[in-house]
Order: sequence, then structure tokens, then C-alpha cells
Amino acid sequence: MQEATFLILTALADGAQHGYGIIMDVQQISGGRVTLRAGTLYTALDRLRADRLITVDREEIVEGRLRRYYRLTPEGTEVLVAEAARLQANATVALTRLRPGLAGGLA
Amino acid sequence: MTDTPALERAYRRILSCYPRSFRADSEDEILAVLLATAAEGQTRVRCAEAWDLIHGALRMRLWPAAPRPRTVRAAVTLMLAGAAAELAAMITIAVTAGAVRAAVAARYPAAMPAATVHEVLVLASAPVAIGLWLWLAWANGRGQDWARMISAACFGLLSLVMVGNLSQHAATYAPANMIAAAIVWAIGLVSVVLIFTPAAWRYYRPQPVQH
Repeated sequence: MQEATFLILTALADGAQHGYGIIMDVQQISGGRVTLRAGTLYTALDRLRADRLITVDREEIVEGRLRRYYRLTPEGTEVLVAEAARLQANATVALTRLRPGLAGGLA
Repeated sequence: MTDTPALERAYRRILSCYPRSFRADSEDEILAVLLATAAEGQTRVRCAEAWDLIHGALRMRLWPAAPRPRTVRAAVTLMLAGAAAELAAMITIAVTAGAVRAAVAARYPAAMPAATVHEVLVLASAPVAIGLWLWLAWANGRGQDWARMISAACFGLLSLVMVGNLSQHAATYAPANMIAAAIVWAIGLVSVVLIFTPAAWRYYRPQPVQH
């Protein structure tokens, strides 16, 4: 899974958000490292919707403009859980091997 | 937040590159996000923004997001491999043409005109075949039912050509050609089988889904 996709799903993990909200949230989650652009965001959202990992939660009109909120589907939650576990397992191995004297990693 | 009509028009011009279905569904929404993320007083689309939008439009057009079954994805990859195989064969024929001509001229001078005609035919038809593979890969990837039928028809034609060549004992006088042809034929066979699997049927002929 691409990092942008992972961050978008993570942004939706604790509730529905609209496009601009996702961009702001992803920026925060990544510590300011990732700023999604609109084209990237909507290409990803289009794909995630087609893959039924996210769905439209509700639509609002704010200042005459459409605002659509997205949320994770049960499948989306499942995929995010699996991906987060995979990343965590990799990170754990890396950290364990980097720590000298542990698990006989460094002679 | 800025909201100049000029900027909005500029964004809409770029958004017109997107597929119609996406624009009908999401143009106003993405426009709102673009305007919300635009800098104060911005009146023109920045290069990086334009590139990101065009890149997104290209991705949507080339790899549409409809959930593509694994069999169809594999078939599309195989069709691209078919195009690559044709290209490799064309390059090989073009590179070895001189040596082949010299050999024919030395041993069977009478066959020279026929050999030249054959070579020209093969080299002229190869780009058509490559184009056909690429076009069918693209159209099948988009779930076009006619593309599936054309693929099957092309495969049928290819099989007839194979049988024709075999009956002329091509395998004995041009084994390398026959091996190349057999590889292309096998790629065609597997990709046609893949686009007629049950999962592929559902993709090419979707039943209306309830939301």
C-alpha cells in the first residue's frame, strides 16, 4: 500500500472527514512531512471508493460548495488493521536489530 | 482562502482533462478543496498543482478505478507482454535481416525476391500487431465487452495462421520463428482464457448493484 493511501485511511480511522479535512489531518499525522495535493487525494479516494474500502458518509453544502464526508467501510478497517500490523512488525524487527546486545544481532 | 473567478476558471480548465463520470460526481468537490488550499491572492494555477491534477487525470484514464478482477489484471499484463514479445521479434528480424539476406542470396538466389517480400511484410505488420496488443490491453482493462470479443477473434486468426505455417513445414526450415510465434500464441491463449473466466464475466457484464 502506498504511504498516501495508508495516511488517508488512517485519517478516516476515527471518524468521517471531508477532502480538505483529510489533507489537514494527513499533514498532522505525518508530522508535516506529507502534504497531499488535491489531484493525488481525489485519485486515491476514487480508487478507495471503487475498492469499497471507504464510502460516502454524508454530503453538506457549505458556502454554496459541495462538501462530501468519507468514512471507512468494515473492509477498509480490516485492510488498515492488517497494513498497520505489517508496518509495526517490520518496525519492531528493525528496532530490535538496531539495539546492540539484543537477540544476538550485533557481534 | 481565496475565491477569484479567474482561478476557479483555470482550475476547471485543467479538471476538464478528467473522465466525465468523475467530473459529474466530484468536480465541485475537488474544486472546493483546490480553492481552500490555494494561497491568499493566488490567481493562477501553480506548476506543481497543474502537474498533480494532470497526473491524476492520466492515472484515472489509464487505470480506471473499477474493481478489476485478478484474472483481468493478469490478462492485461499478458497482453502488454505480447506487445513486448512482438517488439522483440521485430527488432531481432530487423537486426538479422542483413545476414538472412546474405545467406539466402548465397544458397537460394532464386528465392531472394520472395524472401525480401516476406521480410518487408513481417516488418510492416509488426507495428500493427504491437498497436493491436496495446489497444486490446487498454480496452480490456477498462472492461469493454467488445474488446474481449475482438481479442478472441484475433486469437482465432492467430491460431489459423499458426496452423497454416505448421502445415507448410515452417517448423523445419525456421525453428526460431516458430518458437517466437508459439510464445506469442501461448500468451494469446492464456489471456483469452483469463478474460472469459466467471470473475471476468461479472466485470465485463456487471449486474446493477444496489448502494
